[in-house]
Amino acid sequence: MPDPVIRLGVTGLSRAGKTVFITNLVANLLERGRMPQLSARDRIEAVYLQPQPDLTLPRFAYEDHLAAMTGDAPHWPQSTRAVSELRLSFRVRGAGFFGGLVGPRVLHVDIVDYPGEWLLDLALLDKSYEDWAEGVLARMAGRAEARDFMALARAEDGALALDEPRAMALAAAFTAYLTAARAAGWSDCTPGRFLLPGDLAGSPVLTFAPLPKPAHRPRGCLWSEMERRFDAYKARVVRPFFRDHFARIDRQVVLVDVLGAIHQGPRAVEDLRRTMAEVLAAFRPGRNGWLDRLLGGHRVERILFAATKADHLHHHQHPALTAITEALLRDARSRADFAGAQTAALSLASLRCTVEEDITRGGEKLEAVRGRLADGRQVALYAGELPGDPARILAPAREGAERWLNADFSMMGFAPARAARKPGEGPPHIRLDRAAEFLIGDRL
Amino acid sequence: MPIEPDDKLKAPALIEVEGEVDPGAEQFEDPPTGRAMDGVRRLASARASGFARFAGWVFGSLFSLILTVAAWNFVTGLFAANAWLGGLASVLLGLAAVIVLVLVAGEARAFARLARLDSIRAQAIHAADAADLKAARAVLHRLEGLYAGRPAMKWARARLAERQDEVFDADGLLRLAEVELILPLDAMARAEVEAAARQVATVTALIPLALADVATALVANLRMIRRVAEIYGGRAGSLGSWRLLRRVFVSLVATGAVALTDDMMGSFAGGGILSRLSRRFGEGVVNGALTARIGVAAMEICRPLPFVAAERPGVSATVSRAMAGLFGQRDGG
Repeated sequence: MPDPVIRLGVTGLSRAGKTVFITNLVANLLERGRMPQLSARDRIEAVYLQPQPDLTLPRFAYEDHLAAMTGDAPHWPQSTRAVSELRLSFRVRGAGFFGGLVGPRVLHVDIVDYPGEWLLDLALLDKSYEDWAEGVLARMAGRAEARDFMALARAEDGALALDEPRAMALAAAFTAYLTAARAAGWSDCTPGRFLLPGDLAGSPVLTFAPLPKPAHRPRGCLWSEMERRFDAYKARVVRPFFRDHFARIDRQVVLVDVLGAIHQGPRAVEDLRRTMAEVLAAFRPGRNGWLDRLLGGHRVERILFAATKADHLHHHQHPALTAITEALLRDARSRADFAGAQTAALSLASLRCTVEEDITRGGEKLEAVRGRLADGRQVALYAGELPGDPARILAPAREGAERWLNADFSMMGFAPARAARKPGEGPPHIRLDRAAEFLIGDRL
Repeated sequence: MPIEPDDKLKAPALIEVEGEVDPGAEQFEDPPTGRAMDGVRRLASARASGFARFAGWVFGSLFSLILTVAAWNFVTGLFAANAWLGGLASVLLGLAAVIVLVLVAGEARAFARLARLDSIRAQAIHAADAADLKAARAVLHRLEGLYAGRPAMKWARARLAERQDEVFDADGLLRLAEVELILPLDAMARAEVEAAARQVATVTALIPLALADVATALVANLRMIRRVAEIYGGRAGSLGSWRLLRRVFVSLVATGAVALTDDMMGSFAGGGILSRLSRRFGEGVVNGALTARIGVAAMEICRPLPFVAAERPGVSATVSRAMAGLFGQRDGG
C-alpha cells in the first residue's frame, strides 16, 4: 500500500503571508522545540524534506526563504511569482496500545505555494463575461485609480469590429488600473494573471478588458471577441490551475490579513470579505466517506481560518481579532460546517517579530508590542483597541462607510527580528503549533 | 363609559436620558445550574446537621473543660503536697501543651497545603474554560511556587520557564505545564499506588488472621494516600490523610459508582479465575484492585491540574501491572 499523503492547501490573497507561513511551518516541523501544542511531537522520529512527486513543478525555495528571514539582516522573502511545491515526510511512532507493535509509519504532507493574485481567478470560474464586466465596472466607478481606464472604455464601442492594437491598449490600461488598485489595498483585482502573467504575457488570452454590453452585437465585434477571450482564459488558464493544485486538497488553511484591511478602512474590509467569500466558494468542503476515498473523490475535511500578523497586537486582543476573522468569513465557514467539514479559527503569527511591552501614554497604561521596522527603527506600537463585537467592524464596512466611527486603528509593517536560536528550535511564532495540530495532528 | 376628568388615560411621555443602553449585555438572574446534580453532590458530601454539630460542640467543650479542670486540680494538688513535684508537673504540662500546639500547627499547614492543591486545580479548570491566559499564567506561577523547593524538578521547571512565554492559549499553556511538570509525578504516584496494591494483595492473600489483614490494608492505604499527596506537593499529616481517605471514598461514591463496576470487570474476571484456583488469592486480587481504585481516585484529588494531556490511569491496567510481578504474568504479557 502506498504511504498516506495529505495535501495541504494554503489559500490566501497576495500579501497574506503564504510563503512565510509555509517556510516557518516547515522549519518548525523540522526543528520541533517550539511546537509544544503539537501533541504528536514526542512521537515524531524524523522529518525529511523530500523531492516532491510532481516532476514539472519547481521546488519551493525553502532554504532561500528561511535564510532571508533568519539571516544577519533579516527581511521578508520576495513575493511569490510562480507555483512551487514541497513534500514533507514524517516518520511517526504509533500511539496507543498497538503503536508499539506496528512500528513507525510514514506520512507525506504536500504543500503548494503560488502567487496570491492567481487565487482570485477562482471566483471567475462560474461567472460569465457579462456578469464579470458589469461587476467590475460598477466597482471601478467610485475609484480614483480607474479614471484613465474608464475614460478609454467610455470612448470605446463594443459593437465595432475588433481592432487588435486598440484591444491591447484597453488591456494595458486595465492592467495599469489593476496594479494601482492592488497598491491601494483593494482585494478584488481580477484577473490575477494580468498582474503576474508569467509566460502568458502578451498572448490573446490576456488581452481583454471589461466593456459594457452593447445593445447590438454583430459577428466578430469587439465585445464578442472579449467574451471569447474571457472564456478561453477561464478554460485554459484558471481551470487547469485549480484542477492541478486545489481540486485534490485534503486540508486547507485560509490566511487572511485582517489587520491590514482594518488599517486600510471599512471599504477594504468589505472588499476583502466579498473577495474571500467568492474565492472560497470554489472549494468543496465535506467529509470523505470510505466510498469517496475509494473512488478518489476529494473533499476538504478540515479548514482553518487564520488571521495572520497577530504579533502586531498584544495577546489580550487576539480573541477580538479571531472573532472578527470568524465573522468576516462566516459564509464560507457555515457552508463548510454544514457540509460536515471541521473548521476552526485562530489568530497566528507565522514569524513572530515583536515582543510584548507595556507603554504609558498620558498616565494610561497601554499593552503594546515592540519590534523593528523595515527601516531599522525600534518602535513600540499600540494598534488601537479592536472591538469585542465584530459587528462594530463589519457593519460599517457593509454600509460602505468612509472611515471608522469612534475608533482608530493603525498598523506598522514590522520586519523580522534577529533571533538567537538554540539547537532544536525553529524560528519564533505564535500559535503555529496549534495550527499544525489542527491541520495534520490527527493523522500523525 | 364616559371618561371623567380625573380618571383620564395616561398621556404619552418622552423623556431624554443620558447614556446608552446595551440590551445584549443585560444580565438575567438565576442562570441554570443543574440543580439535580448539585443535590447529588450535596448529598454525597453531606456535613452533619446543625443539631449534630451543636451537640458535638457541647460535648467537645464539656470534655475539654473536664480535662482542663482535672489537669488544674492535679497540678495545684501536687503543689499543695510538694512544691517540687508541682513544679515538675507544671513544666511537663506546659511542654505537652507546646507539643500539641506544634502538632496542630503541622496539621493546619498540611490542610492548607492540600487546600492549595485544590484551589490551583479549580483555577486551572476555570482558566481553561474561560480561555483566560492571565489566569493560566497565574496557575503556572503558583505551580512553580509549589515545586520551587524540589531540586529533582529543577530541570522540568527550567524547561517550562523556557517555553511558557511563547504559548498564547490558556489551554495550551496548561497542557504544557501538565506535560513538563506533572507527568513525571504521575509516574511516581502510579508506582506508589502499584506498590500499595501489591502489598495489600499479598498481605490479604497470605495472612490468615481475619482482623490483621484489615488493619494492614488500612495502614497501607493510608500510607499510599499520604505518599501520593506528598508527591503532588501536598503535605498530608495524619489527620490530613484521614480526611483525604474520607474524600476519596466520597468521590468514589459520588462519581465512581458506575466506573467502579465498569473498570472492575476485567479485574474481577481475572480474580474469578484465580479464585477457582485459590480462594485466598482471589480475595487478594480483589483487595488489590480496590486499593488501586482508591489510589487512582487519590491521584485525581491530589493532582494540581486535571487530567487533560494525559489520560487518567485505568484501574485494570494499574492492577495488572501491579500484579504482574506477584503472580508471574510478566512473561505471559
